[in-house]
Amino acid sequence: MPINIKVLDRPIEDVSYLKATLKGMALTFKHLVNPHKVTVQYPEEKWQISPRWRGTHRMLTTETGKAKCVACGLCPTVCPANCIKLVPGEDEEGNRYPLIFEIDEFRCIFCGYCQEVCPEEAIHVGRHYENAEYSREGFVYDLERLTAQTHPVCEMWDPEDPRGE
Amino acid sequence: MAEKKMVSLTIEGRPVSVPEGTSILEAAKVVGILIPHYCYHPGLPVAGVCRMCLVEVEKALKLAPSCATSVAEGQVVHVHTERALEARKGVLEFLLINHPLDCPICDQSGECELQDYTYQEGRADSRYRDPKRFNPVEDFGGDVLYVPNRCILCTRCVRFMDDVAHETVLNVSDRGDRAIIGKFEGKDLTHPWSGNVVDLCPVGALLSKDFLNKARAWELDRVASICPSCTQGCNITIETRDSQVARLKPRPNEDVNRFFMCDYGRLNYRWMNRTDRAELPLVRTEGELRSIDWDIAIHAAASLLRDARTFVLASPMLSNEALHLLSRLMQRKGGAGAFRVATGEEAPLAGVEDLALRRDRAANVNGAQMFGFQRSERPLEAMRDGDVLVIADDDLTGIAADEVARASQVIVIGTTLPGAASAAAVLLPITNFSEEEGTFTNLRGRVQRFMQARPAPGLARPSWLVLGDLLGALREQDSFYLPSDVFAKIASSHPAFSGLSYESLGMRGLPVLESETAGAAR
Repeated sequence: MPINIKVLDRPIEDVSYLKATLKGMALTFKHLVNPHKVTVQYPEEKWQISPRWRGTHRMLTTETGKAKCVACGLCPTVCPANCIKLVPGEDEEGNRYPLIFEIDEFRCIFCGYCQEVCPEEAIHVGRHYENAEYSREGFVYDLERLTAQTHPVCEMWDPEDPRGE
Repeated sequence: MAEKKMVSLTIEGRPVSVPEGTSILEAAKVVGILIPHYCYHPGLPVAGVCRMCLVEVEKALKLAPSCATSVAEGQVVHVHTERALEARKGVLEFLLINHPLDCPICDQSGECELQDYTYQEGRADSRYRDPKRFNPVEDFGGDVLYVPNRCILCTRCVRFMDDVAHETVLNVSDRGDRAIIGKFEGKDLTHPWSGNVVDLCPVGALLSKDFLNKARAWELDRVASICPSCTQGCNITIETRDSQVARLKPRPNEDVNRFFMCDYGRLNYRWMNRTDRAELPLVRTEGELRSIDWDIAIHAAASLLRDARTFVLASPMLSNEALHLLSRLMQRKGGAGAFRVATGEEAPLAGVEDLALRRDRAANVNGAQMFGFQRSERPLEAMRDGDVLVIADDDLTGIAADEVARASQVIVIGTTLPGAASAAAVLLPITNFSEEEGTFTNLRGRVQRFMQARPAPGLARPSWLVLGDLLGALREQDSFYLPSDVFAKIASSHPAFSGLSYESLGMRGLPVLESETAGAAR
């Protein structure tokens, strides 16, 4: 043999896998008998999500069922992902009203700035996560879709602890 | 100016020297300090009613309204001391007592001085607990809508109508906290320059009906330009939203329009957004106009022009650059050129010298005449049978197709293909005024630059580029790469323009040589 191979002399307790295996099995067994369950039987069971969860949007409406939005243009201005399209116009009574209000939920990064900036408390991010669609177009929510959504909306801060302390 | 005595004073620790009689507010502008103000406007007489421009002058007992206080030798002025800030904060609080704070639905939001100064130095909250005064929205006639709730009674609009337009329409009606701007019985804001009150209004009380709810101020892109609606050549700003012209606003120029523009010019912008435009170069092959590559279209046009006498039907809406190149095209084989002008009624603004909505409703009538085009009601009469007719941006309304048909060939260089020219051999699509850069010569011979505000539609190219390429294909000269190169060519070949360049014109323009304009303008 041209090269001398040095064989290290290791103590058996370091080399044996038996100890490590038993250690792993012990951990597994510990979790097997642990009464605290982590797995949820989705979709029959659902996780309780945080009141500050920020999901897909919802447009709140007045008592007459009209969107509260007055097309002030603050949400498209503040939106860092540029996902809100707004064309202002007038409604039947001559009030300022959005002619087009579309949110591209694919582009949205769910920062919640739109809700925070809205002076009319009209646009909200929702406490909702089941957004599957059959088409890409389905992810561009128009005003009709936004007002029709019924899921609860995000509370930007915890009412118990408004300053987040 | 030279005979006026200069006065030296210190504003916020900065020494400044201004002519005697200047207000402290104007002197502060010289050293780059903007003293908040509402009722003061450089184009209007001083009223001193808003009390917003209060500043502290050393050794004076009371705070001084800087718009109505003249500078004095050795004066020391403090703008941002505690006393002055406290006073202005109080003024703002009073102004906001009855202000509805409906910024989300107010058109002025984003360019509102009440908003700006309140954020700058106002209180964060109001101590007023009673219900706010309410008055309904009123239509002032013309393009103006009055929202009395937002009004801060600075009386700029009243003073504009009284002292600049010389037509007494507006007044301050009622007293105390019930005071609002009112119209005199039976009068309406129908003066042709009344739209300026919307620009003058520092808040959202006077609104343009045309612009109402159309866009927010911060969404607009602003480009310096020249109003193309008459020969006055008012300096304007074109404001676009998503590449659509949303409104035109006057741009201050002491020598032309001061701070104003007329309603006709202000509202005459929709044609810039036209969508039925010629977008592709077309050449007639086998009896049919087919879209084709630009190079081939230019050469097709050049081959028609090469040996024929050319008659150019120009448009007074074209820039000096385009008209110069067109005149070279027409002079090649001893041709001729003509143009026609739409006219209307002259409407002067009484309070400003030499400012009016002019009879000729096109920007560059003077330029077209200086470059050798004949003004005519029936421009095609001067055309000889068998000429090659170049129609440069004239829409041919009122011109019959058989009049056009006297030409042996028709080349259209325009923004659209007019119906009467449907037999054209070549169509070269060009950009319109808002989509290209260039200069206009106004009726006093002042050359002023305008900038590109929108992208060109389709494959349309700027007129100077198309005409430069066409002359290049005719081996007349090399093509141009920039409009400033074309202007340099004009400056070197026309004595009236000698010494002028885009740099020297700047954003305010310069007059062409006097002797030349005297002949051409008549």
